[in-house]
Amino acid sequence: MIRKYLKQSAIALSILSATGIVNADTDPVTIYGVKSLSGSFASYGKYADMGSKLAVEGYGEVLGQKPVYKVIDTEGNAGKAIRKVQEAINQEGAKYFNGSTLSSTALAIGKEVHKSDGVFITPAGADELTGVSCNASTFRWSVPTFGAIRETVKPLFKEHPDKKRWYTITPQYVFGEALLSNAKTVFDELGIEHVGNSYHSLQEQEFSGYLTNAMAAKPDVLLLLNFGSQSSNTLRQAINFGLKNQMTILVSWSSGLEQFQELGSDITENVYFGAQYWHTVDTPVNNELVTKVKNAYGITPNYPLAADYISTTLLLDAIAGAATTDTKKVISTLEGHSYEGPTGTETIRQADHQVLKNYYLLKGKTAAGMKDADDFAEIVSSGKSFPEESSLACKAI
Amino acid sequence: MNLYLFQALNGIGLGMIYFLISVGLTIIFGLLNFVNFAHGAFYLLGAYLSFSVVSITGNYWLALILAPIFIAFIALLCEKTLIKRVYHLPHTYQILVTLGVALIIQELCISIWGPIGKNISPPDSLKGVVQLGEFFYPQYRLFVIVFAAIVAFGVWILLDKTKFGALVRAGSEDAETLSLLGTHTHRLFSITFALGVGLAGLAGVLAAPIKGIHPFIGPEILGLAFFVVVIGGMGSFTGALVGGLLVGLVQSLMTTFWPQGASLMIYGAMAFVILLRPYGLFGRA
Repeated sequence: MIRKYLKQSAIALSILSATGIVNADTDPVTIYGVKSLSGSFASYGKYADMGSKLAVEGYGEVLGQKPVYKVIDTEGNAGKAIRKVQEAINQEGAKYFNGSTLSSTALAIGKEVHKSDGVFITPAGADELTGVSCNASTFRWSVPTFGAIRETVKPLFKEHPDKKRWYTITPQYVFGEALLSNAKTVFDELGIEHVGNSYHSLQEQEFSGYLTNAMAAKPDVLLLLNFGSQSSNTLRQAINFGLKNQMTILVSWSSGLEQFQELGSDITENVYFGAQYWHTVDTPVNNELVTKVKNAYGITPNYPLAADYISTTLLLDAIAGAATTDTKKVISTLEGHSYEGPTGTETIRQADHQVLKNYYLLKGKTAAGMKDADDFAEIVSSGKSFPEESSLACKAI
Repeated sequence: MNLYLFQALNGIGLGMIYFLISVGLTIIFGLLNFVNFAHGAFYLLGAYLSFSVVSITGNYWLALILAPIFIAFIALLCEKTLIKRVYHLPHTYQILVTLGVALIIQELCISIWGPIGKNISPPDSLKGVVQLGEFFYPQYRLFVIVFAAIVAFGVWILLDKTKFGALVRAGSEDAETLSLLGTHTHRLFSITFALGVGLAGLAGVLAAPIKGIHPFIGPEILGLAFFVVVIGGMGSFTGALVGGLLVGLVQSLMTTFWPQGASLMIYGAMAFVILLRPYGLFGRA
C-alpha cells in the first residue's frame, strides 16, 4: 500500500517537474528594467524606462513569443534595488536585467545578478563595472572615464593649441578621482599645464568659492569633472561670474540633452560638453531611433532613453541569436559581438564586457543658430578611446 | 584684490542669501513655537512659480512680486485648514505634519513641471559682472545682497517697531493673555505663518537664477536653513542674520584653504557654536 502510494507520488512529481520544465521553456523572454522611477534620479529613470519599453514593444518574437518587459523601481537607492532584484530572481526566476544609471546601484545589481548567473547590461559610468569589479554577467554600454577624457580634452586642445593652462573642479570621490587621474595623464601627454584643482564634496551646490579659486589661477580652460546637478550648478554660476568671456569651459561628462534643456542656450552656448550620445548623430540606427521615439513619445531621444533602448535590444538580439535562454550561451553570444548601434559600429569586448563605442565632444550653439528646440549643440568630434586589453583592471572574466 | 578678501566678499554675499532662506523659519519657530519642515518645499514652490511667471511674461521683476505673495496666500490657506490644528501638539507631531506637506508640494511640483530641472536667467539689467581687481562679481549677486539687506531691515522694523510686531512678540510669550485682552491671536498667528513662508518663497525666487530649480532642492535648502537657525539661535532674527553670514564666510573662505572640506566646515562651525553656546549665538533658553 505504502509502496503503491510512493510509486504514484513519484510519477505525479515527475509529471509536475516535467510540466515545470516545459512551462519554463515556453515562458516568454522577460527583460527586467532596473530604473530609478522615483527619488532624486527620477528624471533619468523615466526616460530609461521609455527606451526599454520601446525596444521590447517593437522587437517582434523571441524564441516564438513576444518578449515581456517588467520594471523594477530602484528609487535611486542601492539597498532597495538589491532587495527588489533579489525578489525578482527568487520569486519570478528573473535572469535578464538592464538599466541603472547610478554607478553604486549598478555595481550592487551586477554582483547580485552574477550570483544567480543572470545577465545585466548597464549604462552606468563607474570604471569599476568593467574594471576591478567586473564579472561574467555584467556588460556596460557607456564609455568609461578613460575615453570620456581623451575624446574631449584631446580634440579641444587640437582645436585650441594655444590654450595651455587648464584648471579643474573635481568631486572628491572615486568617479571624480578617476576623471582627474585620466585628465592629468592626458595633460602630461599634451604638454598642458595643470594650473590648479579644487575638490568639492558630493553634496556641494554652491561653487562660487571654487570658481573664485579658478579665476585667481587665470586658466585658459576650465575643465569641470563633476556631473549631473553639480555640473549644471557649476556651469550656471560660472556664467554668472562672467567666466565664459575669460576662458573656455569644458564639461567632460554631461547628462546630454536634458542638461541642455534644463540650462537653456543662454548658458550652454559656446561651452564644450562631453556626451555619450547625441540625437543628431547620423547613423541608420540612430536615425531610426529618433523617428521611433518621436512617433511613440513625441520627444527627441536623450541619453538615458537611447542607452537603455540599445542595451535592451542587445539582450533580446543575444537571446534570439543564441536560440536559448541559457544565460551562459547568451553571454557567449554577446562577447565579441559587433553590431550597428546609435553611435555607429559598436563592439562588445570579450575581455571586460565593455562596449567599444564613440564618445562625443559637443559645442553649445547660440539660440539663433538652433534649427529646432532641441538643436542645442553641434558635434565637434567623436572617437573611441579605451585602454589596451593588456592593461585592463578586469581579471575576473 | 586679494583672493582671500574676494572670498570674504563672496562669503558675505552667500551669507545674505542664507539669511533670506532661514529668516522665515526662525520667525515661525521663534514667534509661533512651530517647527516648519515644509519650509524648503515652499522655497521650492516659490522658485517654480517664478519660473512659470518668467516663462509666460518674460518679466523677472513681476515674478519677484507675485510669487512670494502667492506663496504667502497658499501658506495662509494651509495654516487655516491644517497647521493651526497642530500648534498645541508636541514638536514631533508638527514635524510629521509639515513633512507630509513638504512631500505633497514636492510631488505636485514634479507633476506640474516635470522631473527635469529648470533655469531662470537673471534679468537683462543684472546679467553683467562688476570687476573688482582681478576678479569679477555678478551684478545679480550684488543685487541679492542689497535686496536681502532691505528685506532684513523691513522685517526688523515690522517685528520691532510696529504694533503688529509687538502683538506677535507678546503672543509668543503668552497667547492666552493676549487673547483675553481682545487680540484675535489666531488671525495674528496665521499672518505670521504666512509672512515666514512668504519669505521662504521670496528666497526661492531670488536664489533661482543662482542655484537653478529642480524638484529636490527643498530638502537641501531646509538643511541649510536649520544650520543657520541653530547657529544663530532658534527664534532670533539677529541670529539668522549673523548665522547666515557666518555660514557664508566659513564656506567661502574654506574653499580656498581646504576646498574639499568647505561643506564639512559648516557642520564644524555649528558644532563649535553649540559647544560654546548650546542655544545658539543669540538664542534663549
